Amino acid sequence: MRVLLIEDNADLGQAVREQIADDGHAVDWVQRLAHADLGAQTTPYDLILLDLMLPDGRGIDFLRQRRASGDTTPVIILTARDQLSDRIEGLNAGADDYLVKPFDLSELSARVAAVTRRYSGNPNPQIQLGELRINLADRTIRRGEVAIDLTAREWALFETFLQRPGALFSKAQLEERLYEFGAEIESNTIEVHISHLRKKLGFKVVETVRGVGYRLGVA
Amino acid sequence: MKAAASLQRQLVYGLTLGIVVFWLVAALVSGLVVQHRLDRVFDNAMQEAAQRILPLAVLDILNREEPGPPQRVAPLHAGQTGFAYLVRDRQGNILLQSFSADPAVFDPRSTMGFTSTATHRLYSASALRETLFLQIAEPLGYRRQAVLDATVALLVPLLLLIPASLIGIWMFVHFSLRSVRAYRQAIESRGAGNLSAIPLHGLAEEITPIADAVNRLIERLRRALETERRFTANSAHELRTPLAAALAQVQRLRHDAPAGPLQDRAIQIETSLRELSRLSEKLMQLAKAEGGGVLSETPQDLVVLLSHVVRDLQRTAPVPIELALPPGGVVLSRIDADAFAILARNLIENALKHGAPDCAIEVDLSENARLGVVNAGTVVLAADLAQLTGHFVRGGSRAAGFGLGLAIVSTIAHGVGAELTFASPATGRADGFEATVQFVLDRQCRSDHPSS
Repeated sequence: MRVLLIEDNADLGQAVREQIADDGHAVDWVQRLAHADLGAQTTPYDLILLDLMLPDGRGIDFLRQRRASGDTTPVIILTARDQLSDRIEGLNAGADDYLVKPFDLSELSARVAAVTRRYSGNPNPQIQLGELRINLADRTIRRGEVAIDLTAREWALFETFLQRPGALFSKAQLEERLYEFGAEIESNTIEVHISHLRKKLGFKVVETVRGVGYRLGVA
Repeated sequence: MKAAASLQRQLVYGLTLGIVVFWLVAALVSGLVVQHRLDRVFDNAMQEAAQRILPLAVLDILNREEPGPPQRVAPLHAGQTGFAYLVRDRQGNILLQSFSADPAVFDPRSTMGFTSTATHRLYSASALRETLFLQIAEPLGYRRQAVLDATVALLVPLLLLIPASLIGIWMFVHFSLRSVRAYRQAIESRGAGNLSAIPLHGLAEEITPIADAVNRLIERLRRALETERRFTANSAHELRTPLAAALAQVQRLRHDAPAGPLQDRAIQIETSLRELSRLSEKLMQLAKAEGGGVLSETPQDLVVLLSHVVRDLQRTAPVPIELALPPGGVVLSRIDADAFAILARNLIENALKHGAPDCAIEVDLSENARLGVVNAGTVVLAADLAQLTGHFVRGGSRAAGFGLGLAIVSTIAHGVGAELTFASPATGRADGFEATVQFVLDRQCRSDHPSS
């Protein structure tokens, strides 16, 4: 998943970026609304983490503009403004969730997962795929009683397929979702991750459509 | 405290008293003028009478053949009153006197012209080269009675004037003060949190500067409260961001550090930072509660606010939070939305912290703006219940906390005129704790509310 993080505090921004990246998502971190606006226009983000008080404007105005232009990207507000009126204003402006600073990074990860699940059309974190029992909330996969471990990138890739079953993803689309701007990507990185997924979850878990891309298969 | 004097009553009584005093002075002056005029009229009458009587008396005395006893003139009719007269010779012998003349009231030594005794007005004239003297006496009582009659005639209308003046002035003052009454009503009818300017139209010229000053005062108060609110909000923001950064960094450190002393130290720092965050949160809530911004100029729907708070807490609460809302769906009260959220959040957090670990928290809002939060758990002693709203009081509980939550609740409740009560065991239970806040229901606005 490709995440746009808009946070002007360097220490907090760095920690949040690392946390989200550890969850397997690609994070583009900007500290100004102007940069965020540019990024949002050029990249199809799956989620925006938005601070409200930024040096060059109010995050709430940025959110209103995005919604007014028809952008439906999920947005989680990260703010130090804890008043209920601010919270209601943020949600009314089109935010999907609201997290008040200081927050636990694990709580942030959970909120990110919950919002993206909601947008995928299936808010239930429990998914049964063939023999696999998948829990997106606590990131566990079991085949019968056997737990299967995935790396963060593998999870992010598998989650991308789970969110839109049946949808075809090109290699470029998958790279865009998994890696932020400037990340060094080997030409066969996606193939390697898919190969690992197939080894751990079953060969048919990801189908290859020759010349087009990949889609979720059956376990 | 001494009751404030009524401006209308003061004006009515003051003006009526003024009119009465003025009327009395006018009556007194009129009496004196009348007395002066009457004296002149009566004196002229006496003088004219003397001029007519004297030649007749002289003729009568000269026509006598021989001197005899004093002659008394018979009255024209029975009961004749008025002045009396007598005629003396140079030796003072009475030669002639009117029917009612009493020599004792006459003064044989009096000089020519007018003199007065204690009881009579006297007029003396002479004839035949001062050989005969005529004296006319008129009782002063006549004159006094005449002056008294004239004065009474002036005072009698006063008996009607006093009540008429009271009623007339009361009506006029009542009419004139209608704009002041309207202004007073405008102030009385607004809620305690309404800090908008009071309309000045229709006010008298003398009252307008006062109303202007009141409006300026209200505006200054509103700005001061607004500044305080902004300061609290900005302080919270400025404090939370570095705390959030520190907490996030230390969580990353704990995550990255290998198991061992470094990770243990990171966990300790994280715990301290969490505690610091919670304490700063509570202190900022207390600062807001103790500030003046807990009332709202416009009524707030407690149903909407409580739903938000409960929904937010339900995400992280270790036990279910059961919310019961009134079927009508709208409960309005003039409390600041954030102050209500802080109050409700603290009550529910208190219940979560001190309630039995496996029992749901019950949150209930009634149609008449009564908020109740009930948790299961051990009974709180009555002596401890009374102490719960003190700062840093933890009611003998072993649960983690700073003992500020219920103090914040109490301060906000007091600030909005709500009644906070605690009960343990909770109503209808053998155990548990129940906190109840009875807010002031905004009934008028409730009936005006489009969705009510």
